[in-house]
Amino acid sequence: MITRYLGFLALRAVVRALGRVISVAASVGLLVLVLPVTLAGGYALTLAWFLGWPPRQLYRAAAWCLPMLAAWLAALAAAGDSWAQLAAAPWTAWLDMWHDLAAGHYGLAAVTVAPPAIPLGLLAGGLAWSWRIYTLETGSGGLSPSAPAAFDRRQWRHQVRTARARISAPGAVPLVRRDGSVVAGATIRTVRHPARPLTAIPYPRLRSHQVVIGTTGTGKTTLLLRLWAGFIRRGMQQYGAGAGARPLLVVIDCKGGADSRRIAERARRVLRGAGAAATAIWPDEATLSLWALPPGQLISTLSDMIEHGTGGAAYYADVLEEIVRLAVTAPCGPPASAADFQARLDPDWLRLAYAASPDATSAALLGTAARHVTDVALRFRTLLRRLGGGLDGPGSFGDADTWYCILEGTAEITVAEAQARALADLLAWYAADPGGPRREILLAVDEFSAVSRRLPIWQLYERARSLGLAVQVSAQSWQGLAADEDERYRVASTADGGIWLLRTPYPEPVAALAGTRRVVDTTRRLLGVPLWAHEGLSRAEGTPVVDAELIRGLAVGQAAYIYRGGVSYVQVKRLVAGPAQLSPAPAPEVPVPAAATAMAAAGAARPDAAGQPGERPGARPLADIGPLLDEAFGPEPG
Amino acid sequence: MTQRDTVGLLFTAEMYGVQLDLLAARLGIGLPAARAAAARWRQQGYADSAQLGPGGRWVWLTQAGLAACGLPYRAVAPALPRLAHLRAVTAVRLALEAAPRYAAAGGYWRSERRLRARMGSRVPLREHLPDGEVHWPDGTGADWAGECWAIEAELTRKTVSRTAAIMTEILTRTGDYGCLAAEVRVPGRAARHSRVLYLCSPAARPVVLRARAALPASLAARIEVRVLPASAAGEQLPRQPGHRVPT
Repeated sequence: MITRYLGFLALRAVVRALGRVISVAASVGLLVLVLPVTLAGGYALTLAWFLGWPPRQLYRAAAWCLPMLAAWLAALAAAGDSWAQLAAAPWTAWLDMWHDLAAGHYGLAAVTVAPPAIPLGLLAGGLAWSWRIYTLETGSGGLSPSAPAAFDRRQWRHQVRTARARISAPGAVPLVRRDGSVVAGATIRTVRHPARPLTAIPYPRLRSHQVVIGTTGTGKTTLLLRLWAGFIRRGMQQYGAGAGARPLLVVIDCKGGADSRRIAERARRVLRGAGAAATAIWPDEATLSLWALPPGQLISTLSDMIEHGTGGAAYYADVLEEIVRLAVTAPCGPPASAADFQARLDPDWLRLAYAASPDATSAALLGTAARHVTDVALRFRTLLRRLGGGLDGPGSFGDADTWYCILEGTAEITVAEAQARALADLLAWYAADPGGPRREILLAVDEFSAVSRRLPIWQLYERARSLGLAVQVSAQSWQGLAADEDERYRVASTADGGIWLLRTPYPEPVAALAGTRRVVDTTRRLLGVPLWAHEGLSRAEGTPVVDAELIRGLAVGQAAYIYRGGVSYVQVKRLVAGPAQLSPAPAPEVPVPAAATAMAAAGAARPDAAGQPGERPGARPLADIGPLLDEAFGPEPG
Repeated sequence: MTQRDTVGLLFTAEMYGVQLDLLAARLGIGLPAARAAAARWRQQGYADSAQLGPGGRWVWLTQAGLAACGLPYRAVAPALPRLAHLRAVTAVRLALEAAPRYAAAGGYWRSERRLRARMGSRVPLREHLPDGEVHWPDGTGADWAGECWAIEAELTRKTVSRTAAIMTEILTRTGDYGCLAAEVRVPGRAARHSRVLYLCSPAARPVVLRARAALPASLAARIEVRVLPASAAGEQLPRQPGHRVPT
């Protein structure tokens, strides 16, 4: 019995082995029989593996070969072939190829069979590649348990290499495509997003709220500059075509310091190339006027800029606001400058201003609050001195296409908070001003949480939304996005323009926002180390759309763009800025008279001698230039 | 490429673009010769030309032409709203350069385009750039040697207050264009422009005179007002032998 059973097992093994041999032989025979298709398909499969292409790329290539096929058939038809002959043309071409090969005409054989074989080969390669990816993704393929993970890692490397090659090719990655979408860079991989060589963001998404998270040195600035430049370029295109308002980009950089200034200078050069006529760097080179705010808004802004406590201090806050109101809404009109405002914070000035006013309530209030005016004046004198001249005008957001506002959020937190509050109010007023020019505004705030004590970021978000402003919030980490967890989730979940994730150590909360997708997971029986059997169970389960491990391992310049439950991994294309501004020549072209130089030196030595700029103190008397002008332009009339 | 071509290309580049009659006047040649020169530049890819408005054709340099001249400007065709102004400034420059005293004093015209290029994109938001500067080197014996003048061509009327503000801004500036913001106006330092020369159309002249009168005497004394030369309005210029450029 045992012998029979063993014999049966041996027979079954032999039959199985024989079946396998026959199956392999038949497959090999078939592959040899369709050798041209095999060669084209094998080449396509290898190429797709090496370059990390999705199968769609091969299908597209096959489709692009169809014109060649059509031309070949047209040529045959023109040569007099009937419909039946045309239908059999691939078959006859295949026969001719074998005859040519037998005759030793290898080149002719290749040319004869190429028109039908290449598209078929690409199609077969695409199908094979698709099957390979499918089996490894579902865990039903591969020789060892670690095969799917190894395959994924290898393909990521290949995809990154291809994306890097694409962005390094000159002209391969435009800033704005013909359809107006802004190109961020070359696509590495997509999940539930269309697989296209370039990742492009439609312009309306840039006009929505976006969030960017990435630690220092991961390419966040490069990405932001590209998005800003795209916004300006496309906005200008639409503005030029009369299809939209002129774009205005306002960047509030809350870090401050030399690094912010370097980025500001780089932004200026990049944005100039994108079409921004002027970039104002605040407060270093340009100023805004807080005093341009309407009186009602000015009162609340000035009051909020002063820090006051809670509880018993609420009384003081009310007194302060009332005194500010009296100073701003004085009968002679609102203040025009910081000096003007400070001059009004004087009991005598206020008494005089309201002496002839019919407003009895204000006059009565003045009597009550007069003893506090000096204290309030002291607080504002300190605040306005620390704020500097950046908010003391002249200037408005309408004066430039781009404003780069630098707040010293690291070194001077209280000052930066007050500045942030004032800038937000100024921008809100500018955007809401019905008489002002209509602009498409993008407000980009970097590390705003550092200065958002007086103006919570969600409040800024909601306010911007109501005014039609787009807000782009960037931070170095999830924690830097806002002050507390609720605010962070509120900011991230309302980013309807998408979320950009660069390398960050804690991407889980944002990754979770992208949701999960249904995938098939297969368990297989282990035959022995390390081989798997072809038997097992498959089941559908949810897996995160965004792989947090992948985010943690992103290299410099790589980003994940999360939008509507899908993700595109992008190799961001760096924008090359124009040449830096040359420093003024050391030797002035303007000949400065020796006397004037001596006087200037004297003025510098004696501060009391320094007069108004350009008053030419002590310069020699002007010579008569009438004869020269008469020669050039004729005598002066009348 | 002759020396005349070089002079013409540089002149055209500095003035944003010129009309052919003014180019002919600058080179001391006739209109047909200027037209031929422009056609040659165009063929070489250095220039472009078109009939942009009334009068003669306009010529301006392409990016290749600007690169050949070594100038870091951006190639753009003269903007239609600025054509009259550009012509007026060019006419002022030509009239000034044609004066014998100008040549004797070694005057050097520094164009608005050059000033703007020095500032790059840092042209401050409300800052006014003059239409040109004339620099007078020291040691030439001229009474105004060592001075720098700002040139303003006024075709249309502004408000008196705006004109006075521009005059004050120019006369109180101490730093060169493109300098650091902190050096633009430094108390106690000598003014950059010794004078401002206003060349006005008959319509704009009364406003300029009133604006000058509204300024303090110390500033008003540094403002000269004259009428724009006839060529600014588009009349044909006679050929000026003094400007003949060797070929």
